[in-house]
Amino acid sequence: MTVEFVNATFPVITVSIIIPLLFAGVLFFLPERHAKPLSIIASVIVFVISTYMLFAYDYSSYAIQFYEKYSWIPYLGVSYEVGVDALSLTMVWLTALCFVVAFVWSTNIQKRIKEYFIAFLVLEAACIGVFVSWDLVWFYIFWEAMLIPMFLIIGIWGYAERIYAATKFFIYTFFGSLFLLIGVVGMYIYQFMERGVLSTSYFDLMNLGLPFKLEVIFFLLLALGFAIKVPMWPFHTWLPAAHVQAPTAGSVILAAVLLKMGTYGFVRFSLPWFPEASKYFVPVMFALGVIAIIYTAMMALAQTHIKRLIAYSSVSHMGFVTIGTFALNMEGMNGAIITMISHGFTSAALFLAAGYIYERVHSYEIKDLGGLARFMPVFATLFMISAMASAGLPGLSGFVGEFLSLLGTFKVSIITAVLAGVSLIVGAGYTLWLYHKAMFKESELSESKIERWEKLRDMNTAELLSFLPLVILMFVIGLYPAWWIRLIETTSAAILSKFIGG
Amino acid sequence: MSVLQEIVAGLGVPNFKVLVPEIIILITAFLVFAIELLTRARFAITVVTAVGLFLAAIPTLTMEQGDITFYGLYIVDSFSLTFKFFLILSTFFVVIVLRPYLEAKNTYYGEYYYLILFSLLGMMMMVSAPNLITFYMGIELASISIYILAGMFKKDYLSKEGAFKYLILGGTGTAVISYGIALVYGRTGSFDFATIANTINSDNLDVGAVAGIVILIIGLALKASSVPFHFWTPDSYQGAPTPITAFMAVAAKISVFAVILRVMVEAFPFAYEVWNTGWALLAAASMIFGNFVALRQENVKRMLAYSSIAHSGYILAAMAAPTGAAFTALIFYSLVYIFMGLGGFIFLSAMERQHGWNNNINDFRGLAKRSPVLALFMLIFMFSMLGIPPTVGFFGKLGVFIALINSDIWWLAVVLVVMSIVSAGYYLRVVIYMYMHEPKSKAKVELSVGEAFTLAFMAVFILILGIYPTVFWDISQILSSLLIAGVGR
Repeated sequence: MTVEFVNATFPVITVSIIIPLLFAGVLFFLPERHAKPLSIIASVIVFVISTYMLFAYDYSSYAIQFYEKYSWIPYLGVSYEVGVDALSLTMVWLTALCFVVAFVWSTNIQKRIKEYFIAFLVLEAACIGVFVSWDLVWFYIFWEAMLIPMFLIIGIWGYAERIYAATKFFIYTFFGSLFLLIGVVGMYIYQFMERGVLSTSYFDLMNLGLPFKLEVIFFLLLALGFAIKVPMWPFHTWLPAAHVQAPTAGSVILAAVLLKMGTYGFVRFSLPWFPEASKYFVPVMFALGVIAIIYTAMMALAQTHIKRLIAYSSVSHMGFVTIGTFALNMEGMNGAIITMISHGFTSAALFLAAGYIYERVHSYEIKDLGGLARFMPVFATLFMISAMASAGLPGLSGFVGEFLSLLGTFKVSIITAVLAGVSLIVGAGYTLWLYHKAMFKESELSESKIERWEKLRDMNTAELLSFLPLVILMFVIGLYPAWWIRLIETTSAAILSKFIGG
Repeated sequence: MSVLQEIVAGLGVPNFKVLVPEIIILITAFLVFAIELLTRARFAITVVTAVGLFLAAIPTLTMEQGDITFYGLYIVDSFSLTFKFFLILSTFFVVIVLRPYLEAKNTYYGEYYYLILFSLLGMMMMVSAPNLITFYMGIELASISIYILAGMFKKDYLSKEGAFKYLILGGTGTAVISYGIALVYGRTGSFDFATIANTINSDNLDVGAVAGIVILIIGLALKASSVPFHFWTPDSYQGAPTPITAFMAVAAKISVFAVILRVMVEAFPFAYEVWNTGWALLAAASMIFGNFVALRQENVKRMLAYSSIAHSGYILAAMAAPTGAAFTALIFYSLVYIFMGLGGFIFLSAMERQHGWNNNINDFRGLAKRSPVLALFMLIFMFSMLGIPPTVGFFGKLGVFIALINSDIWWLAVVLVVMSIVSAGYYLRVVIYMYMHEPKSKAKVELSVGEAFTLAFMAVFILILGIYPTVFWDISQILSSLLIAGVGR
């Protein structure tokens, strides 16, 4: 596969990485009251830039667009190399959107405001950097740099067990990343021995013609790093802890953006670099994916804590991405990418909903709720739509992605598709159960609860402004998926070119 | 001919002018001695020392490379000049934070300054040694001065204990090294690195040569505080006045790494099967032991001492692969360790002057609230030691990784990775205590100008280097290729 590059006339990508950093730097020296508006402005600018890219992107043929490359450490063959294809672009756009949502929502934050927003701004820059880097060293830098602010966010602004959760999160992901690093360094050395050129560029590490044994080794090293981030079963145990303890906006970013980095890694690196090993590991990946889908859906059913329930459901949804990716055909790939986007919206919305409930009722325990819908109708409607989208109701975003993933899987392995499909019912089960118990179930309403809840306000402006766009987008994808599929189709084909001879 | 001209002419020694940095350091040392003896003006002593170091640093940057003086006993090449510059630089930072610390601890002695300078002189001799004799003299001058420096808290039992341990074990190390030198001399009939390299090659490695190399490695490992020869390190690091600990952990260590590289590459280039296995084992042991013990420390100074053992392991791991890439990685990591090590220890030295600070991990509680900027600096030091980008510690480890994988030493690369993860346990703890606990006291942290400047300089430099490491890579690469070219491999 020869890759075409369309150079950027204006360095939009670099700008969108630098703006959050710049604002973070400026904020450090400004008084606290500027933190909220400035951060929102920064995130909106980045969102506008990424939206511009989304519409300016030419999806008629596969090319790396808005491409920039500058030499950086010539001795090691490292360059600063950024650009987007449709996969990167949708992820960047999702990131930019989720950060706007997170910032708008965070206007409720009262504790150590300045540090909070600085941490989030740094996090935003790192997240965008991960998705646009085509140089492995830069990719790794952003991949790891993201750990520092996230660690602080969970550890400082989280709930009671926050320090334990933050440390667990950090050490787990650090563990995976270092093995990923060994794998990449190994590829880099191999590339040098084969071709005599030092380069850490993604494109140079492709088509290496690795011997099968090495391919398997490198695949496993990289997969360990990605699988922990996804997280795939059995590497998922850090996730519920981190989600439960993280502050609302932290959970939103964690679910909507950080988890995508793992699946992005599989799609971006594992498939094109190690086609033989990928084929070889399809049964394993299917098995792990199905176990993730079914096991964590069951786990979700058993939860009484709203956030933990949503966290487990995230792992379950990520299972669909895994099987879609490793179906190694167009339907599966499109399905995986759309599920990634859709899960970004739905998980963000559900965590916002959980945070919203906590703000009002001061509890994440489902048993403390019940009958809330009567007191806050606007919220109930939006929450309902998000829950339905998450459960995969046709007409909403979740359905499109999961349907395509299943379709792709069906072509390869009927058993896998059936098992995963059946678990959709469990998925619908826990989502509906959550919604029913939390929002309806008026039998739970005692006199004192009614008395307290009558005073509850429905959504305030910030909450509405952060929640509503997500819900609208669920409809946009659900009702008109063709545009998104068209956008990512050439990219999927390029990624799969080694498997389907595109 | 005037006296001055005679000195400049070097009394007949050729190329005497390349010794200018050493001469400046020596003169400064005597000057400080005189000032201390006659006036006891504390401010003047600091200023004279700092100015002397500054003046000595200039010629190391401007001098041309590749001169041999003292009839082949002393070489001034880019390798030694670069290390001399960084040694002088780290000494400079130690000197400017020393006085407030000593005054806060009520143990001011003017001796500190000229002892530091003498020790620095020894280190400069070490890195300039093309010959086992010069090397031995340098290592002794540096060590003996540090034995005294480590014990300068005369009233403190820990300081005495640390210095005593260091003296005994350092003395043992010296004895071991001299025994190794004797064996090598007996085998080759020469002290000169080049002659040794020409005499010993992989075909004629016999018991004498191997024993000489192994014993020399043991001695050097002791100086580099590599496990299992590390016993002096935690105690003498903890007992010594903290700026002196910084000096020991940074300047002394770096000069030892440089000299290890030089001895191994220039004197035994053809015997690397012997020494790379040796260093690999020592490195693995240091990483494993240093990290696991550091994990259990409650005292942060002691924790940093153990972590410096672990860093010795990371750096020496590069010695396991006898390639240019490995030597580059070693030099690069050594140079960047200066910034992390100085940052960490000088942070502690600055904090020790604050009321009620004992270096216990609990003292770090809520530091981010008391002083956000300081906490941010410490955060940068900790993450750099941990090796997380965008700090430069990441590139240090990356270089070693590349070298190890390039030479197919996967097991050591995996040990390095796993141990880095273990180290996250204790580095993160410091960050957790600073950021995620409530402060015990609300007292403002007050720093001297020197301390503030040093900490800010180190933190900013770590970030700049982390984002743009090219210059340091280039320096390291040039130095390593110079070493390799020197032995014609």
